[in-house]
Amino acid sequence: MLELKDLTRRYGDVVALDGLTFSVPEGSMFGFVGPNGAGKTTTMRIVMGLVAPDRGEVRWRGAPVDADTRRRFGYMPEERGLYPKMRVRDQLRYLAQLHGLDAATASREADTWMERLGIAERARDRVEELSLGNQQRVQLAAALVGAPELLILDEPFSGLDPVGVDVLSEVLLEQVAAGVPVIFSSHQLELVERLCDRVAIVAHGRLVAAGRVDELRARGHRRVRVDVADAGSDWAAALPGVRLLDKTDGSMLLELDDDVPLDGVLDHARAAGAVTHFSLVQPTLAELFREAVSA
Amino acid sequence: MSAPTTAPVQRPDTPRPRPVGTVTAIRLVAQREFVTRTGDRSFLISTLVTVLIIVGVVVGPRIFGGGPASYDVAVAGDGAQALADAIEGTGRAMEVDVTAEAVTADRGAIADQVADGTYDAAVAGDEIVVDSELPTELETVLQQASRDVRIAAGLQEAGVPPEAVPQLLAPPPLTVSTLQEVDEEEASGTEGLAFFATFILYGQVLGYGFMVAGGVVEEKSTRVVEVLLSTLRPSQLLAGKIVGVGLVGLAQLLLLAVLALGTVLVTGLVELPPGAVPTIGMVFLWFLLGYAFYSCLFGVAGSLVSRQEELGNVTTPLMLLVLVGFFAAVGALNDPGSTLARVLSFVPPTAPMVMPVRVAFGEATVLEIVGAVLVTAVAAGLLVPLAGRLYTGAILRTSGRVKLAQAWRSGQEVAAD
Repeated sequence: MLELKDLTRRYGDVVALDGLTFSVPEGSMFGFVGPNGAGKTTTMRIVMGLVAPDRGEVRWRGAPVDADTRRRFGYMPEERGLYPKMRVRDQLRYLAQLHGLDAATASREADTWMERLGIAERARDRVEELSLGNQQRVQLAAALVGAPELLILDEPFSGLDPVGVDVLSEVLLEQVAAGVPVIFSSHQLELVERLCDRVAIVAHGRLVAAGRVDELRARGHRRVRVDVADAGSDWAAALPGVRLLDKTDGSMLLELDDDVPLDGVLDHARAAGAVTHFSLVQPTLAELFREAVSA
Repeated sequence: MSAPTTAPVQRPDTPRPRPVGTVTAIRLVAQREFVTRTGDRSFLISTLVTVLIIVGVVVGPRIFGGGPASYDVAVAGDGAQALADAIEGTGRAMEVDVTAEAVTADRGAIADQVADGTYDAAVAGDEIVVDSELPTELETVLQQASRDVRIAAGLQEAGVPPEAVPQLLAPPPLTVSTLQEVDEEEASGTEGLAFFATFILYGQVLGYGFMVAGGVVEEKSTRVVEVLLSTLRPSQLLAGKIVGVGLVGLAQLLLLAVLALGTVLVTGLVELPPGAVPTIGMVFLWFLLGYAFYSCLFGVAGSLVSRQEELGNVTTPLMLLVLVGFFAAVGALNDPGSTLARVLSFVPPTAPMVMPVRVAFGEATVLEIVGAVLVTAVAAGLLVPLAGRLYTGAILRTSGRVKLAQAWRSGQEVAAD
């Protein structure tokens, strides 16, 4: 388990992180979301030892994270960086060795990941000769090549074409299945929702919500989508404990207080007109995100 | 995908990374530097050019013009054969390679042959005919021979027996006794060697210092440093770069020394000046010391800026410091025994260039050499942790120019980690 405790960091007058605390359990695919400037990158840089927190600490499997621990983490920084003039294979081999693999194993791992990420035929090219999309793949390989215990990826999907997104999704799911927790930040919330079993939502350097995605979605008030033909929304607005969240054409999204029975709402809907649709809906991650951030 | 409570078991085919100690980390970084830089085409080309220049400086003069020339001279007029013999004899005595030939032609024909290059010069009666310029050594030979022939004729007319004439023409020379032993040739050889050593040291220290600074900025400007520092401590990265680049410098120096010595020994065109081998040894020693001292400073300078174009601003003071060392060494060439040279051969920024000059001239005692080596080595040793802290504090600040004070403060912050 990766534990982040009370992380606080100021840059002059700007508070980048304000007592951020959450943890990433073993075996999870962890989505890290929040608006721009929320402190996601600062958090990841603190975990990787690239920024010192003013307060707080990071622990991995119970022990404080130090340089030797971090060597076993795979990291993809927000600002991509590779040696432009170094050849792809040499570069990956070198980084694998820095992670503690011997020369032969490092070569094998470099070959494996180039193959896996579809850049094997560019192995002998210099990084600067590759397209941006392929450079991104090399950057991903750089994070994966050291047989990491944990992956910390800052916006790994940005800049990838749909095929690249599929390949990376598959690779990350494999890593999680093999016991390597993955924490990644992204603005593509549908992707996060599809891939991640857990998320943390941050805003203004503070944790807004964290936990299992299904629990977060089930939390809060029940929501019902009702379609009633040829009827306005007045009947719903009149019900106690029921709020109209959205109305488009004949379709309404209602939020119910806990003591409002579902069938009571259905009865009122029937009384208002012909009900063509009635279902319990869970908020999407995007909706949770908007609510959490605007709160 | 539920969360297991214990650490999962890695798959059997998953490679297991081993801990990386500081020595291994530095070795890996240094190895990359060495392999990348020695394989770089522009580096190979510049090394080749340097080799050609050195070989050219060593053997060039003997091949192109600077060496002993040979002259063909035509002699016409009365007693031409006697004068021709005298010219060749005088040439031998004065170590000038002259071939003289008695010819029967008028002045016009001879002038034509001089003009078309058949002869370098012609002696016709009372005049010497040359195309444009009469080399001094040839003129001396010709005038001397002509004088000898005419004096001999005069002596014989005055009744001096022929066998006594050579004795009169070449009386035994005065012997020279020097009170102080000065070997002109050796002195000029030493000076040339010392200048060469100074120039090489200046070039290597500055060149490889810049290579360190440039390498640091490269990692910073391309942001690869963030990937590297997730596996390395900043001080390990800097140390590895300094060691790797230094080994490239050492290898280049070794190549140049072997080629220069090899050219001298194989071709036999020039004699090795006395003291050449110890001076070359000094160059190696002082390159290591000077590089150790300056590379730390250049590494810090590189870490203060984020773009290659800004590098000039921060390296200028260092470049001036190296230049001061160079000019101090040139000053020491003129007056190796001066107090200034003595003092500057102990000051770490100038010692690497001034001390070898004093050593070449035999002006430094063994004790002084050992002392200067120790002072410079200790100074470089003290710079290492300071440079490490400044570099650590500056390397991850990628927004614009970092001030030294800022770097110093945040260097401690990160180092405490």
